[in-house]
Amino acid sequence: MSRMVEVKDVSKSFDGTLAVNAVNLVLNRGEFLTIVGPSGCGKTTLLRMIAGFEVPSAGEIRINNDRVESIPPYRRSIGMVFQKLALFPHMTAAQNVAYPLKMRRFEPAQIPSLVDKYLQLVQLGDYAGRYPHELSGGQQQRVAIARALSFSPDLLLLDEPLSALDKKLREEMQLEFRRIQQELGVTTINVTHDQREALVMSDRIAVMNEGVVQQDGTPVDMYRNPENRFVANFIGMTSLFEGTVCATGDGVVSVKSGNVLLQARSNDKVLPVNTRVDCAIRAEQIRIVEDASVYDNSVFGTIEHRIFEGDRIVYTVHVEDLGGARLHLFDHDPVSHKEYPANERVRLGWNARDLFAFQAPQSN
Amino acid sequence: MRGARSKKIVLWSIIWFNIITLSLPTVIVIGASFTAGEIIQFPPEGFSLRWYQKLWQLDDFQPALMRTFYVSIICTLISIPVGTLAAIATVRYRFRFRKSIQVYLLLPFTIPLVVSGISMMIFFGEIRILGSLWPVGMALCIINLPFMIWSVSASVNALDPELENAAYNCGAPPVQAFLTVTLPAVMPGVITGSMLMFILAFNEFLVSLFLTDSRTVTLPVQIYNSIRSIITPDLAAVSVIYIVIALIAVWLLDRLVGLEIFLRSK
Ligand SMILES: Nc1ncnc2c1ncn2[C@@H]1O[C@H](COP(=O)(O)OP(=O)(O)OP(=O)(O)O)[C@@H](O)[C@H]1O
Ligand SMILES: [Mg+2]
Repeated sequence: MSRMVEVKDVSKSFDGTLAVNAVNLVLNRGEFLTIVGPSGCGKTTLLRMIAGFEVPSAGEIRINNDRVESIPPYRRSIGMVFQKLALFPHMTAAQNVAYPLKMRRFEPAQIPSLVDKYLQLVQLGDYAGRYPHELSGGQQQRVAIARALSFSPDLLLLDEPLSALDKKLREEMQLEFRRIQQELGVTTINVTHDQREALVMSDRIAVMNEGVVQQDGTPVDMYRNPENRFVANFIGMTSLFEGTVCATGDGVVSVKSGNVLLQARSNDKVLPVNTRVDCAIRAEQIRIVEDASVYDNSVFGTIEHRIFEGDRIVYTVHVEDLGGARLHLFDHDPVSHKEYPANERVRLGWNARDLFAFQAPQSN
Repeated sequence: MRGARSKKIVLWSIIWFNIITLSLPTVIVIGASFTAGEIIQFPPEGFSLRWYQKLWQLDDFQPALMRTFYVSIICTLISIPVGTLAAIATVRYRFRFRKSIQVYLLLPFTIPLVVSGISMMIFFGEIRILGSLWPVGMALCIINLPFMIWSVSASVNALDPELENAAYNCGAPPVQAFLTVTLPAVMPGVITGSMLMFILAFNEFLVSLFLTDSRTVTLPVQIYNSIRSIITPDLAAVSVIYIVIALIAVWLLDRLVGLEIFLRSK
C-alpha cells in the first residue's frame, strides 16, 4: 500500500503554548483514520496544518511523498469539512457544491451532473436551490460534506462533520459515510469527540491528549489493548483505581489496591514489584455475582446509584475495600433476573485478563 | 387580559405619536408644494403643479440638479473601492499601525464641517482645482467616508473568517477567493454604505458652499441662495424632490439587500 499522508514529529505552538506536540502519523491510500480526543487537545490544529492553513512550528508533513509546507492550500487536492462548516452564505447548496469544481476548472458541461450526484449522495437532492440559512444544521453539514467530496480530492479532512446531527441520523450517517468513503476509496482523516463514531467508522484510530498522540491502531486493538490509562479511560466506559504491584507472573501481575489483592494483566509490560500502577476495568466486564469462585477477582461494594438507559442499566458501586473506588458496570438484561436497588450490598467479580494495570506516571 | 390590552393601547399610542410627529413636516411640505397660491402655506390653497412647473423652467434649477447628481455619483464611486478595502483591511488583517489607521480613517467625522470646508477650499485653491466640479465630489467622499467604512465593517465583522480558508480549500487562489467569496459576503454592507454616501452627498450643504461658485453651484447651495431672497412654494417643491430621492434610495436598498438586513445592520 502506498503512503498518502505522513506526519513526522510535527509540533505547533501558539504564543508559546504547544497545541500539537511532536505528532507522528502515517496514513495509507484509501484508509480511514479517526482522531479522537478531548476538547482543546489539538485535533483541529493538526487538520489545519495538513490542509495548509497553519504552518507547523517544527516537523514535516508529506502528502503523496512530497513535502507540502511550501504548497499553498489552494494547490493541495484536499477536501475539508470545517468544524464551523464555512458554507458560502450567498450561494445555494448546489452553488456551494459546484464552487470547487469551477475553481478547479472542471469541464463546465460536467459540473451540473457532478453537483447532482453528490447532493444525491448526501440525500439533499431536493434542497439544491436552498441557501445555507434555509437549511437545518444537519442539512448544512451534509452540504459541507458534498462540497468537500465533489471534486474527488486525494485526501478528505473531516472536523467533526456529524456533530450537529441527532443520534439516530448520526448513526445512520456514520454507516452511510463509511459506505461512501469505501465506494469512492478516498483517504480520510476524521476528527470526533465521539468514541463510538471512531470505533464504528474507522480503519484506524489515533487517540490524542494535550497535543500528543497517545496511541494509534485498529479499533479492536485500541479497545482491547489500550497502552495507557488515558486511552483505556477515553474509549469505553471505564473505572479507574490505583494500586501497587506485589508480585509478577507471566503476563499477569498481582496488585494490591486498598486492602484487596487483585490479579491483573500487565499487557506485556515489565512491572517490577512495588511499581505504582493505575488499574482500569471496563463496565461490561464486571458482573454482580453470587458465587465468586469462577472469577479471578472479587470485591464487595454498595450500590450508589443505578441509571436506567433503556437498553441497559448502569450501576455505580462504591467499593470501600478498593480505597473507596467507584466501579461502573452494565446490566444488559435486567428483565431476566434480579434488579438491585440503591444501597444494596453486592459482590462483584471479574477476570484477570480484563483488568488492565498501567505503570502510573512518575509524579515529580 | 386587561393588562395586555391597555399595554397594547399605550404602545400603539406611542407608535402613532411618533409616526405623526416624524412625518408631519414631510406631509406639510408635500402639501404646500401643490398649492395654487403665491405663498407657502398649509393647508394649501387649491391644487396645482404650477410650482413644479416653475421650478423646472427656472434657469438655475436643472443645471444645479444635474451637478448635484454628478457630484453625488463621483462621491459614491470613489467611496465604494476605498471604503470597502479600508474596512476589510482594518477589520480583518492585523498589521502595524492598524489602530492608528482606523482612527485616522474616522477622523473626518470628528472635525467640524466648517473646518473641513475651509481647509479644503484653501487646499483646492492652492493646487488650482477649485472651480471644477469633481473635486467637490471627492471632498464629499472624504468627509463622509466613515459612514461607508462603518457600514462595510459591520458586514466584515459578521463574516466568518473561515470562509476564505474554505475558498482556498476549494481551489480558489487568493484573488479569486476575495472576488467570489469575501466581496459578495460583504456586499450588503457595501450597498448600504453606497446609498448612505449618495444621500449624504446629495444633501451636503456646508462643505459644498465653500467649494462651489456661481458656475458650479449645487442644489443644496442653490436652495440656500434662494431662501435668502424670497421664500416661494417652489422651495417646497425642491424639498419634495429630495424626499422622493431619499425614498427611491430606501426602495433600492430594500430591493438589493432587504430592509431587514439593513435594519439589523449586517
Ligand atoms: N489561532 C490560535 N491561537 C492561539 N491558540 C490557539 C489557536 N488555535 C488553537 N489554539 C489553541 O490550541 C489548542 C488546540 O486547539 P484545537 O482547536 O486544535 O483543539 P481541538 O482538539 O480541535 O478542540 P475541539 O474538540 O474543542 O474542537 C487549544 O488550547 C487552543 O486554545
Ligand atoms: Mg476542533
